[in-house]
Amino acid sequence: MRGSWTARLLPWAVGLVTGVLALGPALGRGFVLRYDMVFVPDPSVGAALAGADGFPRAIPSDVVVAALSAVVPSDLVQSGLLLAVFALGGAGAARLSLWLLCVHGPPGPGTAVAAVAAGVAYVWNPFVAERLLLGQWAVLLGYAGLPWVVAATARLADRTPGRGLAGLVCALIPAAIGGFSSVLISALAAGPVALWRRGPTTSRWWSRAGLFVSGLLLVSLPWLVPSLSGGAVTDPRGAEAFAPRSDTPFGELGSLLALGGVWNAAAVPPGYGEPVTALLRLALCVFALAAWAWWMWRQDRPVIGVGLSAGAAVGFVIAFLGVVESGRALTAGLIGLWPGFGPLRDAQLYVAPFGLLQALGIAFAVWYLAGAARASVWCMGTGVFAALLPVVVLPGLAWGAGGRLAPVDYPHEWHQVQEEVAADDVPGSVVVLPWSAYRGLDWSGETVVSLDPATKLFDRRTLWNDDLSVGTADGGTVVVDGEDPLAREVAEVLDPAPGTGLPRAEDLAAGLGGLGARYVLVSDPVDNGFWYEGQGFEAVREGTELTLLRVPEARVKADKPGITGLEVTGGLVTVVAIIWSVARSGSSLVLQCPGPKVGRSARKEIPK
Amino acid sequence: MIKVIAACAIGAALAGGAAFVATSIATESTATAEPVNETLYNYGDR
Repeated sequence: MRGSWTARLLPWAVGLVTGVLALGPALGRGFVLRYDMVFVPDPSVGAALAGADGFPRAIPSDVVVAALSAVVPSDLVQSGLLLAVFALGGAGAARLSLWLLCVHGPPGPGTAVAAVAAGVAYVWNPFVAERLLLGQWAVLLGYAGLPWVVAATARLADRTPGRGLAGLVCALIPAAIGGFSSVLISALAAGPVALWRRGPTTSRWWSRAGLFVSGLLLVSLPWLVPSLSGGAVTDPRGAEAFAPRSDTPFGELGSLLALGGVWNAAAVPPGYGEPVTALLRLALCVFALAAWAWWMWRQDRPVIGVGLSAGAAVGFVIAFLGVVESGRALTAGLIGLWPGFGPLRDAQLYVAPFGLLQALGIAFAVWYLAGAARASVWCMGTGVFAALLPVVVLPGLAWGAGGRLAPVDYPHEWHQVQEEVAADDVPGSVVVLPWSAYRGLDWSGETVVSLDPATKLFDRRTLWNDDLSVGTADGGTVVVDGEDPLAREVAEVLDPAPGTGLPRAEDLAAGLGGLGARYVLVSDPVDNGFWYEGQGFEAVREGTELTLLRVPEARVKADKPGITGLEVTGGLVTVVAIIWSVARSGSSLVLQCPGPKVGRSARKEIPK
Repeated sequence: MIKVIAACAIGAALAGGAAFVATSIATESTATAEPVNETLYNYGDR
């Protein structure tokens, strides 16, 4: 590798190339809709801020999307965010490996190949593929930020507190956008690094820990304040419903070891569970772990080694708790004790730090293979092959996971109902029917299951069934109760039929209007088109796919939706902290983190 | 530089061939698991 520009550009090139290869058609115009990933045209900042009662799962991610969509079309915002997952993650892991490996001397071609290996391994694995197919882009944004957060946390040891905190908050921006899950995995991966940092330091561990916690709190306020002040509840049954499952022939433990094991069978990338590809993937993970262990055994072990190992181990234990009956019972008990333990229900999420550890292990192995000064062309060729192995053993992620992530356009009808509701000055929420959260959208010719886009389409509060039904291996169903108390009241008024999700109650307009509803949108073609006759609604639109009904103004008792002063203050503090961190760091997240200065100094710069 | 280019070519060729084989295996065994023609949809199926 000649010149620092290579060290600067190569990591980003790795991230961008893997992103384009993985996303493929998803980067085209249109909206990629799949499970939790719902982007709509012209989303409303106000509606995103008001959100729903209960745990603020979509804050601040939806607010950021809505704000960006005021400037750029929202389908481009989606493409940009998805590509950012790969670019940030790949670049972050590559730069982190460069920094860690540069203790051996100026980076050469072998170090560059090792950086490529780290970047590719970090963003091309079952964890990323499954979360992507589950539509959890916000979680992945936090995952992409992990290498940056780990590096910034390690930097706390040799910086002034102010500069260290600024660098940390800056690195936490992706997690701040992602929300609670992203911040949690960041805390898990980097928290131990703040406590155990090898090498000379200018600060005490408690000082670094204090700065680290401060950074986390600063970026968490938008979701932390409403969740603590709003009385959020979580159903303990989620621990059972979202427990890790086996997506390979090697059981839950083997699946988690390979960074898979998501609970949703439809989120497994095509071909991944086949014995050959799964075995290759598992072998690669074992190889990466062995390489990491070897690196940790050596004198030149990485400064973040102990901390990252501890974080990954704790994360793996949390994930494994979901595998065993007693572990699930423990998690459910904790959630029952205090809803703040609710995020533990999605146990597989916590293998994220393990993904970073494996990526760095592969990087070290590749560096050892190809990094010697007189490495033969065959050794280097083998190193390049090893760097690309994550793609080889998981081809199902390529090109939008085999076309599963294909963009579609909203039918014209959807734009029309959005405009019709926006044109109404009378306040009141929108009730979304059928009373079920997920739809089978067939706009692309194939049925894709997605959260009903109507839940995010309007510039006002929507009321929808946020219960989550998860099929079990024995053919049963676990229903995890939703978290919006007003939605529960609406369900009582509707008395929905279990098979169709359509209401069975009488005089619905009065009942729903009394709960503040102004509109009812039926966002699915239904067989029974007469259920709303005689219910007191005004029919605004009766289309082929959508039916929009209006509650007469006199019957609507709309409460003024709003956010509390405390929530506004919390959000503003976070925004100001992020602006300060960028200004204090002297650069943006993209521009900071200079690469090693090749040949100019023996001192190796750490990526921020 | 020539050595680096040659190494990249060798590694990429090996990876490309292996990826082709893995893709073939994955493609042959893949079947759609998406539900169709249902009114209500689950959030997943373990």
